[in-house]
Amino acid sequence: MSDVDKIISSKLLKGRSLWQDGLRRLWKRKLAMICFAVILIYFLLAGFIYAAELFHWHVGPIQWQEEVGRQYESPSWKNVFGTDIFGQSVLRKMLYGAKISITVALCASIISIVIGVPLGAISGYFRGVTDEIIVWVYSTLSSIPYILLILAFAVVLRDKALFGYKLTGITTVYLAIGLTSWVGICRLIRGEVIKHKNREYVMAAQSYGCSNSRIIFRHLLPNVFHLVIIDFSLRFVSFIHAEVILSFLGLGEATRPSWGAMINDARIELSRGVWWQMAAATAAIFFISLALNIFGDALRDSLDPKLRIQ
Amino acid sequence: MANTNGYLLKVNDLKTWFPVKKGLMRKTVGYVRAVNGVSFAIKAGQTLGLVGESGCGKTTVARSIVRLVPATAGEVIFEDTDVLSAEKKRLRQIRKDISIIFQDPYGSLNPRMTVGDIIGEPLKVQKGIRGSELTEQVAMLLSKVGLAPEYINRYPHEFSGGQRQRIGVARALALRPKLVICDEPVSALDVSIQSQILNLLKDLQDEFGLTYLFIAHDLAVVEFFCDVVAVMYMGRIVEQADSQELYHNPLHPYTKALMSAIPEVDPKLRGKRQRLSGEVPSIMNPPPGCPFHPRCPLTEGVCKTVEQKLEEINGKGHLVACWKSREH
Amino acid sequence: MGDNGKLLSVENISTHFFTEDGVAQAVQDVSFSIKNGKTFALVGESGCGKSVTALSIMRLIAGPQGKIVSGKIVFDEKNLLELKEKQMRNIRGNKIAMIFQEPMTSLNPVYTVGNQIVEAIRLHQKKPMERAWADTVEMLHKVGIPDPDRRVSEYPHQMSGGMRQRVMIAMAVSCQPKLLIADEPTTALDVTIQAQILDLLDKLQEQNGMSILLITHDLGVVAERADDVAVMYASRIVEVAESKVLFEGPLHPYTQGLLRSLPRLGISAKRLQTIAGTVPDPLHFPTGCKFHPRCPIGNSDKRCQSIEPGLRQVCDGRCVACWYAPGYETEQEKKNTN
Repeated sequence: MSDVDKIISSKLLKGRSLWQDGLRRLWKRKLAMICFAVILIYFLLAGFIYAAELFHWHVGPIQWQEEVGRQYESPSWKNVFGTDIFGQSVLRKMLYGAKISITVALCASIISIVIGVPLGAISGYFRGVTDEIIVWVYSTLSSIPYILLILAFAVVLRDKALFGYKLTGITTVYLAIGLTSWVGICRLIRGEVIKHKNREYVMAAQSYGCSNSRIIFRHLLPNVFHLVIIDFSLRFVSFIHAEVILSFLGLGEATRPSWGAMINDARIELSRGVWWQMAAATAAIFFISLALNIFGDALRDSLDPKLRIQ
Repeated sequence: MANTNGYLLKVNDLKTWFPVKKGLMRKTVGYVRAVNGVSFAIKAGQTLGLVGESGCGKTTVARSIVRLVPATAGEVIFEDTDVLSAEKKRLRQIRKDISIIFQDPYGSLNPRMTVGDIIGEPLKVQKGIRGSELTEQVAMLLSKVGLAPEYINRYPHEFSGGQRQRIGVARALALRPKLVICDEPVSALDVSIQSQILNLLKDLQDEFGLTYLFIAHDLAVVEFFCDVVAVMYMGRIVEQADSQELYHNPLHPYTKALMSAIPEVDPKLRGKRQRLSGEVPSIMNPPPGCPFHPRCPLTEGVCKTVEQKLEEINGKGHLVACWKSREH
Repeated sequence: MGDNGKLLSVENISTHFFTEDGVAQAVQDVSFSIKNGKTFALVGESGCGKSVTALSIMRLIAGPQGKIVSGKIVFDEKNLLELKEKQMRNIRGNKIAMIFQEPMTSLNPVYTVGNQIVEAIRLHQKKPMERAWADTVEMLHKVGIPDPDRRVSEYPHQMSGGMRQRVMIAMAVSCQPKLLIADEPTTALDVTIQAQILDLLDKLQEQNGMSILLITHDLGVVAERADDVAVMYASRIVEVAESKVLFEGPLHPYTQGLLRSLPRLGISAKRLQTIAGTVPDPLHFPTGCKFHPRCPIGNSDKRCQSIEPGLRQVCDGRCVACWYAPGYETEQEKKNTN
């Protein structure tokens, strides 16, 4: 039986890729898995709300506008987090806010990855003039204070139309955040690509005639991609916070409840002794941030190939 | 198809200098002369060894030949074409005929690709082979290098250093090259694995009719493996001869010192100790004249000012770059 | 000083690493002793456990993953494994010093060379700064660094590999240790520099009367520089002998195979002899004798496959761990097999 026949007929010995290895190690970390469950809950909640809005289900969070009690009712069994100035359920608003925050953070992440990763890869691989230009661009961009930059973008983008879509509150928020936050991932990818470029496996690929694009996409990016994942999970937190701040400053979503808007309202309410809206929003932000931070660290420890025992 | 005189590869006065840039305006203040005028030729089916210590430029020679590193001057004639001035299309064709085996078994394989992908990629990229035909060829290559074809879906980190090096050899053979450049292929391996890989390379040479350029720092390995040996120091070849002739009759003081520095297991075979003083000088500021003169026990006036050229000694193809050794 | 001129006695040391994938028994039941003023070589290929043995002697095994699980290390009539960490720190760098393979990563890149040696001196000896600096310059001179007054304020990256190794040696011998552990001190260096460094170690040994534990995979270095040799394979010692005696007639099939597979200058051959197979994974050692899968005798022998041969003395000063080594089997065992 020839070798090929052996391969086709026999059970091929399965390999265990570095990804599988990393995920297996991640799975063993109980705390990280709990945090992942928490993150999943938030995402599922956001997804659920999207679906509910799409299919017009009449469930709690969708009906956040409904008056469920008098103004400023304190927390009770009926309304677990009390009511706000309009008598609306704070709990429902808090749940709805998850949709806003997750959407913003996810879209901003995608934008910054889509811009940052290719620029970083091109910059790191080709070096020379291309590199100098890209580095100059992001150095300048990152020297401007983050908040000012986001504010500027948000103000400029407001009420403008992009490809025929009117830019509503949320869209300006995540566009602004995404367009300013790609610098971090770009730097990271650039650094790693520069390191890997001189590895012998890249030289080997060049030596048998691989094109540059094949080397970047087939060889370099898969080896730096784990950093994108780690960066994504850690940066997600900062995007949620950015949305909160923008909403707090009145630049974000104006018509629908978001955690930032709730905190903004709470500013005045606190002086009246109404603490429950602040508490609800803060709690919501706190738990997702904590879960993402712990999970992000665990991801880094598990996915870093250097931390394997050779 | 070798060119005239039966030489598959002819390197003429190859120079590879790396500019050193300093200051705000990135001005070029000097050059690292990694390869400073190297010439040699390899006949089809032969093995030429390039030996020397770290920093002598041997790896840079290998990389300059296939243009992984841009050469500064000189010619590399492979089968009637000058590789250094070939245009992209021709270069791509030449890259089918020359392949490299690298030193580091851990760094020379992409950790995120399966072994099958690693060995098969040259075939995919250059010949567009896919599917079951690709699997067939990869399986055949795996068994040629002594690995079970069932491992085709495994990843590099699941293999030992010696096995990874075998994978590197299989990859180098995928396109049926004519010339294989072995860049220190066994330096990072354990002694008991070294001999396995060296035997394998020899067998493959017989089977496929390969020509080798073998780069190493271990003179004993080079003596066993190569037909002709060239000794490099600071970017230049200082001595070149047939393997046996070099061992029995080393002429250049550096070659002699190199041989006597090698620790020998059999006390009866230990020669007289010849200790070199000092360190290898900085490659950015090579000393004038013969680059070896500051450490040479035989230095005399002219050594400090006149660069020594490689010249033939005794008609047996033995070349030395040292006027003193030609004196006897 | 121990009894019989023994400076260090390692007795049945086992060091294990507890990893996610299982227990790696890096060192198992290792015993040997080093005499005063002599060079003892621990030789073996990568993964055999020789570096871990050295780190175990220095108690530098990183817990909680790594642990010395059993055995004694007797130095100066004390068991090093029973000392408190504070007492151990007093011994490290002072009575037992270590130099490593990669001088670039063993030296701190942000301190000058002089600073690092002075620190080593002042940690163990109560000397005023001036004296310590003077000693440092003298040390650099002793280890053969030209222009020591100038070099003393250089940083590691300004020096070549050979120089950095000399600096490491200067640091290590600055307190006149009784034992110097050299873990592959010349593997990363060129062969001409290697010879210089080994000469230097010889010279210092003569001057200070210190013992050297030389860890290496290079048999040639061992043959030229060591008085006694222990060969390690897959976490165990398989053969111990005086250096001369070992190379004239090795008893263990692994040692024999190693020597045969070396390409030797001046001995032309068409093919090299090899040892078939590869070194076993420490997480999955074979049963019985760890070398049996690769052994021309052992791979088909039932006893080698199931019972591990311990290290036994077969004649004066020679120990082997192989059922078929001459003089190994006791009378009883011979009767049992026949």
